[in-house]
Amino acid sequence: MVLIIGGAYQGKLDYAKAAFSLTPEDIFTCTGLKIDFSKRCVNALEEFCYACVQQSIDPVGYFQSHREGWQDSILICTDLSSGVVPVDPVERRWRHSTGQLCQYLAGQANQVSRIFCGLEQRLK
Amino acid sequence: MIVFVSGGAKNGKSGFAQDLAVKLAGGGKRYYVATMIPVDEEDHQRIRRHVADRAGLGFETIECGGDILSCLNYDKNGSFLLDSVTALLQNVMFPAEKNYEMDLQAAEKCAHDVAAFAKSVANAVIVSDYIYSDARRYDESTECYRRCLADIDRLLAKVCDTVIEVSAGQLIFHKGGLPE
Repeated sequence: MVLIIGGAYQGKLDYAKAAFSLTPEDIFTCTGLKIDFSKRCVNALEEFCYACVQQSIDPVGYFQSHREGWQDSILICTDLSSGVVPVDPVERRWRHSTGQLCQYLAGQANQVSRIFCGLEQRLK
Repeated sequence: MIVFVSGGAKNGKSGFAQDLAVKLAGGGKRYYVATMIPVDEEDHQRIRRHVADRAGLGFETIECGGDILSCLNYDKNGSFLLDSVTALLQNVMFPAEKNYEMDLQAAEKCAHDVAAFAKSVANAVIVSDYIYSDARRYDESTECYRRCLADIDRLLAKVCDTVIEVSAGQLIFHKGGLPE
């Protein structure tokens, strides 16, 4: 599994497309709780985490119980870690659970890349 | 050499960029491209502080609240310090004279012009701000601003020789290097 992280609008998906020759059919973009692990690339995991928070689901637990689904996946998640502590409790839990998921996935990954202004920085 | 510098707030980007712009100039002209349009006494104080910081470094100040290509009327073989893209974009995207209403076309033009500027001068240090890693659901205009700034950052990262992230005053090289 490859994990790609980085701030908003940094070109994470563009990097994934170029590095792994992805076509639009290879990409699933999260908008809620449902993840289609049959796609090679799962994008916007932070949106999955947002839905988890709203429904009191632990995203790490979810990924642990669907291990076989993402062993060869390219996973993309926005880094939400470097702002002021959010006033809104939902945003606070969102930040927490997204950070937890990134840490877990980075531990499991063969490759972790951070994208900064469109440029790759290899973290693992 | 054209260098793009970004990173989080208060990490030492401006001080580093200033010293680098002087170094790149050699004995040549050095220009400070002033992007801030002061609106209150706090802004004026900040500008006075920055002017004092630069005193003795030999910068000529170019007042540039909007049209970055106006810098090309100066000596293109000189060294330009543009600090910051963040302020420049804010000025053109939310213009005071239009009651701060969002102008997306101006934002696109700004991206194009900053890249053209970077390709037209011999030496430049261009500073931006990394404002992309917080956990907030922003309003639409703030989100647009973040996206437009990121578009400019990525364009600059592509055309610049060197891309540096400054963290706690330390340099993380994402592309290229610096002269000895």
